[in-house]
Amino acid sequence: MLRSCRPFVVAFAFAFVLIGAGSASAYHTRFVALNCTTSAGDPTPYITRDGSITIALKARHEGYQWAGGCWNDNDVDDSPGDPPSDPNTGGEGGDCSGFTFKIWRESENENDAGFYQWNKLWKVHGPYTAAAFKAGTGAPNVTVSKSAAIKMDAFASSGHIGMIYAKNADGTDQIVEAKGEAYGTNVWTRTYRGDSSYSGVRRTGWSS
Amino acid sequence: MRRRWTGSALPGLGLAGGAIAGALVAGLSGIAGPHRSIAASPVGAPFIEATHVPVSLTVPGEPIALRYDVYCAGSDESIDEGSCDATGSVFVRAGDTGAFEETPLVLDPNATGGRYVARVPDDIARSAEGFSYYATVQSVATGATTTEPAGGASAPQRSFPIGRSVDIHLGAHLFGATAAPDRRVAQAPWGDGPGEAGLERGQGLTPLGGSSFDVTTGGTVDVLDEAHRRILRWTDGATTPERVPVAVNGTLADLAVSTDGDSMYVLESTAEPGRSPLVREFSRDGRAKSSARIGERMASQVRMGPTGPVALEQPSGAWMPVMEGGEAVAPEDQRRRGRSGRPVAGGDDIVILRTENEIRTAIVGPRGVRRSWRVTSDTPIGEVQLAQPLGSRLVLVFRVYTETRSEFVALVLDERGVVRQLSLDPADWAETAPLAKFRVAGKWLYRLGSTSRGLFVDRFDLEVS
Repeated sequence: MLRSCRPFVVAFAFAFVLIGAGSASAYHTRFVALNCTTSAGDPTPYITRDGSITIALKARHEGYQWAGGCWNDNDVDDSPGDPPSDPNTGGEGGDCSGFTFKIWRESENENDAGFYQWNKLWKVHGPYTAAAFKAGTGAPNVTVSKSAAIKMDAFASSGHIGMIYAKNADGTDQIVEAKGEAYGTNVWTRTYRGDSSYSGVRRTGWSS
Repeated sequence: MRRRWTGSALPGLGLAGGAIAGALVAGLSGIAGPHRSIAASPVGAPFIEATHVPVSLTVPGEPIALRYDVYCAGSDESIDEGSCDATGSVFVRAGDTGAFEETPLVLDPNATGGRYVARVPDDIARSAEGFSYYATVQSVATGATTTEPAGGASAPQRSFPIGRSVDIHLGAHLFGATAAPDRRVAQAPWGDGPGEAGLERGQGLTPLGGSSFDVTTGGTVDVLDEAHRRILRWTDGATTPERVPVAVNGTLADLAVSTDGDSMYVLESTAEPGRSPLVREFSRDGRAKSSARIGERMASQVRMGPTGPVALEQPSGAWMPVMEGGEAVAPEDQRRRGRSGRPVAGGDDIVILRTENEIRTAIVGPRGVRRSWRVTSDTPIGEVQLAQPLGSRLVLVFRVYTETRSEFVALVLDERGVVRQLSLDPADWAETAPLAKFRVAGKWLYRLGSTSRGLFVDRFDLEVS
């Protein structure tokens, strides 16, 4: 029996590997194509830390997409497992800096410190990398002492940024962040505040 | 007429059928997956939640205000511009028995954080037994409610008067004078070989590796090599690790090992949609034994309690039993049994409160605070990594930091003050679970560290000469 099945098994395995390998590099979800639009941000007169936290919390459990900036609100990563090194897979989610840009309601113009409302299904990343945020690049952004950082300020390293949601009694912070493909977007306890690779960053102009 | 397939025809049929089946399975399994089409519809649900830093240890004479931040949203597509419009109350009582007294939460419009505040009545705030409390808040717009902590009246936050604390002022931290370890007890280069530890990498992702570790009383070191879904184990004196596969889903998981090393508990930090993260139990040889969902949305650490693993769960910030006797504790029972301190052997709890540049910590027994310390520093204090009894003493490990530097400080505390103090290099090239860098076993402090070359575990002698 085994002997007679061998051709089938060999061909099965060959086709499985061939098809898989051949198309792995072409992995694309169509999340962006099917769900997202582009639009200029809507100017808003003011922003509050609490309001921005609320928007960030609605992004929990959504996906992560390198260079992305579009997500829905169904608490599911709609494009799980896409290759983390490819920005063009069309997956759901922001990356860490794109997520921060939208939550902080910034402008695509680095010289503009105004407030712009970005619908979650508008695909926009903004001009800043995590490293740029860390340096306080852009009119709306300044560096801030880490010990003085409060909710909706951020901690940024050369490769990552996350925003403060709440403080914990043990000195850790709850951070809302787009962490990575295996993690998606959520709130986690982190120790970025004391980590020497991270700096404090503040979006200026909060009303409260 | 039925055609009979001859032996010579079967290979050709097998090849063709196998190729078709293989292609089909590859496509369906998502390995190929070009143009996967998921047209998702936004279905945001209304929510309300509150955050609060528990007032777990109080100093005589200080004003006591219970502050909460409240966030809420409806299910529509509107983007809220301001604060959650909420109402609520704190229910507070002296000690931990008797009826609760309701105190309304009032919006403090000038506060940047903790905008909803309740004042604890003076007679309750001054109680020698301290007080216990919980809050309920409700969204005016949607009617959604939440209770903080989640256990409500069954497991309220507990606040203890710190009593006659031992006060220690450390002054400004001197960076660069770090202690050398007594011994490196484990090390593994990064890589995918048998004795190597895996790194999880990705765009915008700090390298993650060796996400947690633990040490048995016998000195066996277990490091969670989550990228390879295994434990790397160094028995005392070993130079190469034993490899123990464990079926975990990783993602900056934490690890606790029973003192005898027979059971390992892995707390994962992410979960399937709509579920809370898992704590998985494994036998010493990596066999999956059981698992339990945590009682709240997330947890930052898992440790061994007197009767099984306990997890520090958020948003309550309470320690909850996860498993007992090899059985999962139901999530609702976890919430009902949350505690403000971490339960340790002997019936005590260890309570920690870091406020700005001060750490308050206490060993709390059934009759209240048995021993307490206040540690202050002129250098900003970060997270408390560890607070662990060592005989009659307490080992406290925390981070101090500036904008560009950080180190850990380890203190051995007794009833008179500091009996041993070490500064420790953070050695944190790779990211780990947040509170997974230090463990105490026997008279030793162990540190999980890393460089760009690999991970290691160093041992420091805590014995006072």
